[in-house]
Amino acid sequence: MEKIIHLVGLNHRTAGVDVREKFALTNVADFEKSLLEACPLREVLALSTCNRVEILVVADNERCAGIDLAEAVLAHWAETCQGDPETLRSHTYLHAGLDAVTHLFCVAASLDSMVMGEPQILGQLKTSYRKAVETGTARVIINRLLHKSFSVAKRVRTETAIASSAVSISYAAVELAKKIFGELTGKTAMLVGAGEMAELAATHLLASGIEKLFICNRTYARAQELAKTMHGEAVFFEDMVEQLKGVDIVISSTGSPTAIIRARDIREVLKKRRNRAMFFIDIAVPRDIDPDVNGLDNVYLYDIDDLKEVVEENMSARQGEAVKARAIVDIETQAFASWLKALALQPTITDLLGRAEEVAGRELAKTLKRLGAVDDETRQALEVLVSSVSRKLLHEPICFLKRRTREEGTAERFIDMTRRIFNLDADQVSPDAHLDRRTLEDETIDCECCREDALQDPGDTEPQNPHDDDPQKPEGRD
Amino acid sequence: MALPDLLPILVIGLYFLGTVLFVVGSALRQELLKNAALGLAALGFALHTMDLAQLAAGADAAQALTAGRFLFCLLGWGILFIFLLLWWRLKLKFLAVVAMPLSLVLYIAANATAGVSAKLPPMLSGLFFLLHIGTLFASMALLAMAFGAGLAFLHLEKRIKTKAGLKHFQKDMPSLDTFDRVNHFVSLAGFPLYTLGLASGYVWAWLSARRVFSLDPKEIMALIILVLYAYLFHQRLAMGWRGRKPAVMAICVFLLTVLSMLGINFLVPTTFHGFKP
Repeated sequence: MEKIIHLVGLNHRTAGVDVREKFALTNVADFEKSLLEACPLREVLALSTCNRVEILVVADNERCAGIDLAEAVLAHWAETCQGDPETLRSHTYLHAGLDAVTHLFCVAASLDSMVMGEPQILGQLKTSYRKAVETGTARVIINRLLHKSFSVAKRVRTETAIASSAVSISYAAVELAKKIFGELTGKTAMLVGAGEMAELAATHLLASGIEKLFICNRTYARAQELAKTMHGEAVFFEDMVEQLKGVDIVISSTGSPTAIIRARDIREVLKKRRNRAMFFIDIAVPRDIDPDVNGLDNVYLYDIDDLKEVVEENMSARQGEAVKARAIVDIETQAFASWLKALALQPTITDLLGRAEEVAGRELAKTLKRLGAVDDETRQALEVLVSSVSRKLLHEPICFLKRRTREEGTAERFIDMTRRIFNLDADQVSPDAHLDRRTLEDETIDCECCREDALQDPGDTEPQNPHDDDPQKPEGRD
Repeated sequence: MALPDLLPILVIGLYFLGTVLFVVGSALRQELLKNAALGLAALGFALHTMDLAQLAAGADAAQALTAGRFLFCLLGWGILFIFLLLWWRLKLKFLAVVAMPLSLVLYIAANATAGVSAKLPPMLSGLFFLLHIGTLFASMALLAMAFGAGLAFLHLEKRIKTKAGLKHFQKDMPSLDTFDRVNHFVSLAGFPLYTLGLASGYVWAWLSARRVFSLDPKEIMALIILVLYAYLFHQRLAMGWRGRKPAVMAICVFLLTVLSMLGINFLVPTTFHGFKP
């Protein structure tokens, strides 16, 4: 039965924040269940974040003949959010078939994110998928599609430099600090003034292992309050310069109209700290730190514009990497299309028999090699033997699949299972796949006969019996 | 062809391949290539050690140990040894970009000067050899690392100070602090070694010729280097110098030692440290 995949969604590019908040799905699980009831669908997965809503549906072509599925999903979505369907329609995009697959891969690989390459979306997609599995709205095709999208995201992250450089002001500051000091463990930082960006940078520094954070504010009570939330130590504003001798990184963000940290103060501070390097991050406008500070040896000063420049350069580098990432997405989309095509009874039977013939042929060749010269009659008898053993072994599984195909809605599950058991799609399995579900950590995944053979004769390269060498490890997708 | 005859070709080949691979790996930001380069360098180093051991254990060791080939060979070996030490202690893989080509050049120079011996009397063996040549070469090898770390520091510091942004291999470079630690280590360990090397030379000069200073160009240059090295040592440890200044100073001192080693030993006819036949 032919399957159709649709993806309906909106994101930060197609809809403003007012539309996004109106059509955000507050209870994704309920929405998925109600959508399955309202429309003749097989599978549903919905993802709702502050920047996007994506609804992925899978249906049978025959069951949905004459129904505009995308329209039905939109109508149900508008109804769930109690919004105007016309408004929703004008802000959404619709993808069908492989376009939907490509779009999902791009979303997972963060190629469609507001900040390209940021990894949060992958975590959000994983959470949504887990919920859909728990709700029971994700089945064979969505299972495969989501697993594939996670592996695409991993490939993009490892094979391209899309996420290698900081693209937020606060991260850029931390990256620079690491380039100056190396590891930040044991270093100290001071937050002068307050402000969202400065606090974020301080949080990132703390996460990178900063040992101590001083917080200095004109209002001491505010400094104490911040020190409490950030596990730091409050410092009187008047004592700031004196305290700087023990501080490696300074983040300044006060509303002062004039510079509060001057080059001559820092020159004195440097003497006291025996020229140990200092990094100043001035996020304030007007600037808090005298620009001449950057002229001192072992002192590095970055203001908000400098950091923005770093971020913009990194952003443009990411755009370049996105071209490579899209090539990966295209290859993986084609691989998924091949799998989808094979998810039918006949291709699976053909692949299964093909695999059996391949294994039988290989084992026969080894046996003949070991036997030496044999007459034609013996050779033919052996060929018939291995062929009939493999076919008879597969007879029952094939009959079972044929029976299930006659039943509504169960065939794909068993066909998919068969393809995974016999690894007909030649998938590579990561050694740490599904670690959370394993019961025995040290258990190997070799099959019994392979393990026995390995134990009997680990160093021998010449096989002693037909099962000895080249063990076909049973690899499944998960 | 026996292995001893093949050793120089193998060592040069391995160092050359390692250098090329490391440079390509750094440019392409491929850790695999860099690790392969280090593997080749390590293999080259092992063979290099065998070559040195073979010279030292040979029948004509007394003559071989004062020959130009052995001295250059030893210096190249020392540089790579110090690099491996720094790699182990400070995880400074990046310095391979200096250590490998320097060792390669010195090893090639060693083989180019084969048969050329320094005019030093046979009594220059044992303790004197260990003290004078060993300590001076060790401190030169350290200076070579400080030279590489200093250049890298100045380059990276300029990019950070001028906000020029970090691109390609600059993103993979160690931090400024790490390069500065190399300088600190070199000042701390290298200066005493250099002083010991020079002092042992003067002691030997007194014992053999009853004079300490003979106005040999090499001796004058060595004294200048010692003064600069002492200044670096003092400023670094007593005055808390860090960063750019000690980096520049270490580069200057290393360049002077190279000038002293190559320029004076080969080009100045009046020195008794010369490598001319």
